[in-house]
Amino acid sequence: MSAESISEVMRDPVRPAAASLSEEKRTITVAVAGNPNSGKSTLINAIAGTRLHVGNWPGVTVEKKEALFEYEVKLIKLVDLPGTYSLSPYTQEEIITRDYLVHEMPDVIIDVMDATNLERNLYLTVQLLELDIPVIMALNMYDEAEKKGYTIDSNMMEEMLGVKIVPTIATRKAGLHDLLKAVVKLVDDPSSHHPKKLNYGEDIESAVSAVEKQLKDSYPSLAEKYPLRWLAFKFMEEDEHVQSELKISGDVLLIEDAVRHLKKAHEEDMESIMADARYAQAAGLTREVLKRPELRKTDLTEKIDRIALNRFLGIPLFLAAMWFMFKLTFDVSKPLGDWMNALTFGPFKRWAEALVGLIHAPAWMSSLVTDGVIAGVGSVLVFVPVIFAMMFFITFLEGSGYMARAAFVMDRAMHSIGLHGKSFIPMLLGFGCNVPAIYATRTLENQRDKALTALLIPLMSCGARLPVYVVFIGAFFPAYAGTVLWSLYVMGIALAIVMGLIFKRTLFKGEAPMFIMELPPYRLPSFKSLMIHTWEKGKHFLIKAGTYILAVSILVWFLLNLPWGVESKKDSYLGQVGQVVAPVLKPLGFGSWEAASSLMAGVIAKEIVVGTMGEIYVKKTGEEQSAVKPAFTADLIEIGTSFTTALRNSAENVFSTFGISSLSTKEDEKRSGLKSVLRTTFTPLSAYAFIVFVLLYMPCVVVAIAMRQEFGTWKWFGISFAYQMALAWLMAFVIYQGGTLLGIGG
Amino acid sequence: MNLSMLKPGERGTITKIGALGPLKRRLMDMGVLVGEDVKVEKVAPLGDPIEVTIKHYNLSLRKKEAEGISVEVAK
Repeated sequence: MSAESISEVMRDPVRPAAASLSEEKRTITVAVAGNPNSGKSTLINAIAGTRLHVGNWPGVTVEKKEALFEYEVKLIKLVDLPGTYSLSPYTQEEIITRDYLVHEMPDVIIDVMDATNLERNLYLTVQLLELDIPVIMALNMYDEAEKKGYTIDSNMMEEMLGVKIVPTIATRKAGLHDLLKAVVKLVDDPSSHHPKKLNYGEDIESAVSAVEKQLKDSYPSLAEKYPLRWLAFKFMEEDEHVQSELKISGDVLLIEDAVRHLKKAHEEDMESIMADARYAQAAGLTREVLKRPELRKTDLTEKIDRIALNRFLGIPLFLAAMWFMFKLTFDVSKPLGDWMNALTFGPFKRWAEALVGLIHAPAWMSSLVTDGVIAGVGSVLVFVPVIFAMMFFITFLEGSGYMARAAFVMDRAMHSIGLHGKSFIPMLLGFGCNVPAIYATRTLENQRDKALTALLIPLMSCGARLPVYVVFIGAFFPAYAGTVLWSLYVMGIALAIVMGLIFKRTLFKGEAPMFIMELPPYRLPSFKSLMIHTWEKGKHFLIKAGTYILAVSILVWFLLNLPWGVESKKDSYLGQVGQVVAPVLKPLGFGSWEAASSLMAGVIAKEIVVGTMGEIYVKKTGEEQSAVKPAFTADLIEIGTSFTTALRNSAENVFSTFGISSLSTKEDEKRSGLKSVLRTTFTPLSAYAFIVFVLLYMPCVVVAIAMRQEFGTWKWFGISFAYQMALAWLMAFVIYQGGTLLGIGG
Repeated sequence: MNLSMLKPGERGTITKIGALGPLKRRLMDMGVLVGEDVKVEKVAPLGDPIEVTIKHYNLSLRKKEAEGISVEVAK
């Protein structure tokens, strides 16, 4: 079959499930399995599109995608399994895939194969076939295989495996109808499916049938629940997961005998014997059905990698690529984020005020609505553009194949502090904003790598800390502004290295996770796939994180404004807590309730430290309220024009090449009132200790929520909170006390 | 001779996988098996990890992981 003949393009392949569908109609559950980089995501997106529902697998944070739709009067539930190379129970992805298949027993497995990498993909197929669940193979990327000059005899492969094979080109939506038709046909007529039993060699086969018999006799209930042959293999492999789950151990059975014999004959452990036997099947099949051209052409991937992974060019090119990604993520999203912010605190707030005014609500309620709820909504919306932009780039980097190269280039440096090559990108994003950085840790497959990276990200000085630095530097170190600012960024990085080394030896003691990683061919990710992915992730953030952020904003409003009617902020709950905490900060040089309260308010977002200080230290002078309130229609027009301006600014930022806009110190002229008050309460030394404290103390609540979401537990935020508080206190203490001893700036 | 000692462009045949446990299983799952031909393509700019071709695809691994893979260098 040639790629051209897979011409049946799906326009709108599937319809959403109709609500009226009768209850008794059975849903066909189709699990989609496949290697990473096999085009599985693209295939699923092409079939289900926006009907995909993205969530997490229970108890873990691996993504779970599902879609329910109607196809040829059948109701199909598509379940995307994590990409895996094998079903060995070593990675989280493998365990999820295996548990799902064994426990949920889907009606059909669609096995998505990368046709350009047949043998390694068949290794998974062979394992799927052991499960006794009907398999349909989607021979994906068929066009690419042809381009490489491969010819695959899929008819022969069908015959050898006894499994239906459908060539597909997911990027062009080709072959998807055939694939779904094959699913329907198989479910309608199960007898059409008669897979061949793969023969793993005489000694293995005789051992496995002995074990099968033993299992059947001793544990008949198990034999009914699980695919027997698979179960037998797992026992022979001494699979700890299966053993502990079923609460019987290998040694009570005759298994030991059978296994000992095999081990002796092969001089290997059982897992290796099985891996060898399975690969032998995959290799044998490949030899029969695949013809490669005699002369291998240098392909595009090789050409790109000669430059991208070059000894001398590799790192500069990587850094340049990262620089562009960083700039695009933050500079493109910034005008839109600012626009959303202006929208919330401008028109939205005014409208809410008007509404509250209409119902003659008491003053506290109007304050709760505008300063609590609206402000909370605002702080969620501000993050939306940056989260979307980051998700877009990360998805692009992963889909294109460059993420693996980034890891390859940076691994040596990152590994020396216990991290993984892929940790670099989340850390870098941290300088813009820690929140998308935490979400970006999802590119790390291993839980340990992911957790360690997330713990160190808050030490990367984010954009929200800058306004605090700017005010203090402007007040105390105008002559050395650059040096002082630089020192803070460097201190953050240096402490990340130190903490990385400490964590590596304490919290994460033991063998570092392995690196072994495929370098997939470069591919242009399909735009649709990119958009669906970005949208789903962004939506997830909005709903999940949004709720938390809103709740926290309202809580802080209570702290700041209650008891209602207090004259001074000192008497508010926040001020009261500030007075309690202040003595703890005394040795650091800023033991006033004002400083303590500002720091506490800063947990919402660190830039709020400045705003709160402004409120506390400087008496409100100009009545901002007196501004004329624009009419509703004027508001609408303003929203429209400001949005176009924001879009234009975003577009312009794509092309502007120099200077991170978020690093500008334009704010310098403002806040002169605050600065002069600060000069009376801080010394240069305590001021420096204070900004170091701001750099290091607990991450903001949005980061906390991001950590909770990414890890499904508060544990890592707890650790982050504890070590950062200790570190911030210690560093500020050393700076202030050391400085005082040396007589600097006292 | 082990895989980490090969220079870019050199080929060999795997004779033994000395690694243990999950590392060994992972290597085998990725097609790193005894008898397989392997070619070192590149060394990362900072000297580690390395890129090899095996079973017609590209795999990267750290030198430390490659140390456990014995190879016989092809002439």
